[in-house]
Parts: sequence; C-alpha cells; structure tokens
Amino acid sequence: MGWVRWAAPSAIVISIAAPAHAFRYLSVEQAQKLAFPDATRFVEAHVIFTPSDVAGIERRSGQKVRARGQQVWRALAEDRLVGFFIVDYVIGKHLVIDYAVALDPSGRVGHVEILEYRESYGGEISNRSWLSQFIGKTSRDPLELDQDIRNISGATLSSRHVTEGVKRLLALYETCLR
Amino acid sequence: MRPASDSVRRARPLLGTFVEIAASGAPRDDLHGAIGRAFETVAIVHRLMSFHERDSDVSRLNREAATRPVRVHPWTYEVLRLSSELYAASNGLFDIAVADELQRLGLLPRCDDGAPGPVTSPRTPNEPVELLSDHRVRFTDPAVKIDLGGIAKGFAVDRAMATLCACGVPQGLVNAGGDVAVFGAEAVAVHVRDPRHPDRTLLRLEIRDEAIASSANALDGSSETLVMAMIIDPGTRRPSTAIHGATVRAPLCVLADALTKLVILAGQSAEPLLAKYDASALLVPRTGDMFVTQSWAEEMRPAS
Repeated sequence: MGWVRWAAPSAIVISIAAPAHAFRYLSVEQAQKLAFPDATRFVEAHVIFTPSDVAGIERRSGQKVRARGQQVWRALAEDRLVGFFIVDYVIGKHLVIDYAVALDPSGRVGHVEILEYRESYGGEISNRSWLSQFIGKTSRDPLELDQDIRNISGATLSSRHVTEGVKRLLALYETCLR
Repeated sequence: MRPASDSVRRARPLLGTFVEIAASGAPRDDLHGAIGRAFETVAIVHRLMSFHERDSDVSRLNREAATRPVRVHPWTYEVLRLSSELYAASNGLFDIAVADELQRLGLLPRCDDGAPGPVTSPRTPNEPVELLSDHRVRFTDPAVKIDLGGIAKGFAVDRAMATLCACGVPQGLVNAGGDVAVFGAEAVAVHVRDPRHPDRTLLRLEIRDEAIASSANALDGSSETLVMAMIIDPGTRRPSTAIHGATVRAPLCVLADALTKLVILAGQSAEPLLAKYDASALLVPRTGDMFVTQSWAEEMRPAS
C-alpha cells in the first residue's frame, strides 16, 4: 500500500466552481407546524420597535438591533398560548440566513430551524463561488448542470451569527413579549 | 399524482456549525419526524461534549477529573474510549488534551471563573485519560484539559444516522459542517472543498453507506466566517503547518473526523492507521503535489 500522486481533473474543478445562490429548507408555515404540532392556529403578533424597545433589546443582548421590527406569531391551541414563533435573519459575510426560533410561553428556546439561505448583497459579489462551501446550490436554478452540489465536505460557515441572533430574540422576548 | 415517497432536507445550528439532515424514501410526515429526532440526537451530543457549556461532560471532566473519577454519559465514554485507542495507535499523536494550547491561541474560551489556567510544565507524555469501570473517567495529570472538537462532530453524525435508521428511513444524509455520512441504496454525490482555495471544490465523489470528513488548517486565509480548524501537534504543542488539508473516507464518520486530524499531523506516515480503520485519504500539502492513498485511488478509478 502507500500513497500515489493525485491531480484534480481540471474539468471537474471548473464545472463545480459554480456558485450556490440560495436554498430553501422550509416555508414559514411548514416551520410553524413542525415547531408547534399541537397548535391549531398562528396569530400574527408582529412587533414594531419603539426606541425604548431597541434600547432594551440592545442592553439585554449586547447585540445591535438593525431591523425596525420583528415577525412574531403567537401559537395557539384553541385559545391557549403554547408559544411564540419568531422569524429573523442574520447577515454573514456572504450569506443572508433566514431562521426561525420557537419559544415556549415562558420564553425558553425550543428549536432553532434554518428556513433559507441566500446570497448577501453588498460588495461580496466577486466571492460568489465562496457560497458553494456552505451547503449547496439552489434547486431553483435551471442553469445548473449538476443538481447535486449540495453535500460539501470541508470547512464551513460558523453558526455564530445565528447564535448571536437567538440571544437578541431572547432579549426581544423579555422586552416586548412577556 | 403524488409521488410514493418524498424527500426532506433541514438544517439547524448545532455543534458550533450548521447541521444538515436529509432523508427520503418515506412519506413526508414520517421523514420530518425522523429528522426531528435525529436533530435531538445531535443536540444531546452537543450538550454532552461541548467545551463551552458549563454542564457538559467535557466541562465537568475538565473541572473535576484531575482530582476524582467522574461519571459520564455512555456516549461520552465511547468517544473517550475511541480517543484513547487512537492515542495509543498513533503513538500519542491523536491527543484530546490540547485544549490548553487552543485556549492560548484564543480558539477556545478560558475557564468560567476567568482565572488564568495554571502555568504548568508540559504534560508527561502519557495517556491523558484513564477509563474506569461504570463509565467513570479520571485524568492522569492535573494539567490535562480535554477538548473533543476533533472527534465529537463525527460521532454526532453517526448517532444521527443511527436515529434515522431506527426511525425506518431508507435513505439519509447527515452533514455537520462538512463531516458527512450517507446511508441507503442510492449513492450520494459529495464535493470536497479545496483547502487552498475555499471557493473551489477539488473533486466530486459518489458515496454510499460511508462517511467522509475534511479538515483544513486555518492558519492563513481564514475569514471571520470560517470555522477555525486549528490542529495542534502534541509533540511541539504548536499548530501543525506542513499539511494544508486532508479528506478521509471511512465506514464511520467518527473515524473519518478523527483520522483527518492524524493525516494533517502525520502526513503520509498516517497510512497504516488509515488501513487499520479501513479508511482512505486525500492529502493536500501546503505546497507541492496532492496525494491519495492506494485504496482511494482504486475507488476513484471507476468514477473517472
């Protein structure tokens, strides 16, 4: 046994350098049902931030609030509150990640589920192909020749942005929902 | 007409990365149920083996195991047992007790109390962890601090796969930040990133009932969004630099994950270890030619 010299076939390298633009895992409705299977309805309770909300969330979380409000739903089983469903996004260097957080009525985090990722805009266009290292390319892109560039072995994005986002949403719960 | 079976792919932030689980070949609701349980399994591994969480087995061991035996979850014990086996098989090269170096480099947080770790002379070159009966564990040296970052992700992938199987899913894939395992009748395409050019992929493989993991040294070219994957050479207590990246295929993801670190540290001399675990590897040195093991080359041939 032993090792043999290996060269990457250049044709393959070129064909798979194509960028991944986006991938959608779940719709908001699908994620709601998965997070609260017992809920019979989801009532919009979107929050528009007041300046004091922003100050409260920033103080509690140590995170900057960039949005003017938050998409929130109250999950109800008949008329009983079973939790909150919050949709948020975080912007990494290359990607915007939409994700959802399920909180129980006392504000404890149930699950954090990624809904979708897509290319982030703003100066990173030359790095588009960097996206291929995350998870994959879109199934919506008709131009892609190879439909299966989704499973990448190798270093990947840090989930730190999402972790920080969840911290901000917990502060939002304390400030605006409880 | 509605297809007889569906396919579902979901992702959650766990293990400090994004964990993606895909399943197909059963009704959609069943797949969602199985994927949800597989995520729960990954979350358990996360809670047990995180260096960051105060109540994890790893944190409890790092606080207490130098002074008395600490009982851990059977899964943690299993990972420690395999780590110990790899430590012996690699003459100490696979070492989970390099957390102090990772802390010094700022890649792991300092201990909770904020106090600087004890200034110690280098550890005696012995097995860092003693495995006792009844899932109890003791550290052999007060300077020992362990981090399972080099092996727990692969273990979590294997456990998640087992959960999918137990739920009756016929075809599945788990990808924890690039540590990938697949099972089922259909081969699945996996692309390996070029560690020297993260915007490119090196090759495409079809794998079936197999795991693949890649590690890269992030000494240079690392961005804030790249997961730092520093591999410490226990001999020098410094980051390893000669090898840029390695990809390992193995029957289990825990082996693929751990063996990538050994290939980065040992280079071509890791070959007997790879053979021992029925694994094959691709080795990307910092400069010069890439190499694959003979077994890898043989598997590649039909595909090319």
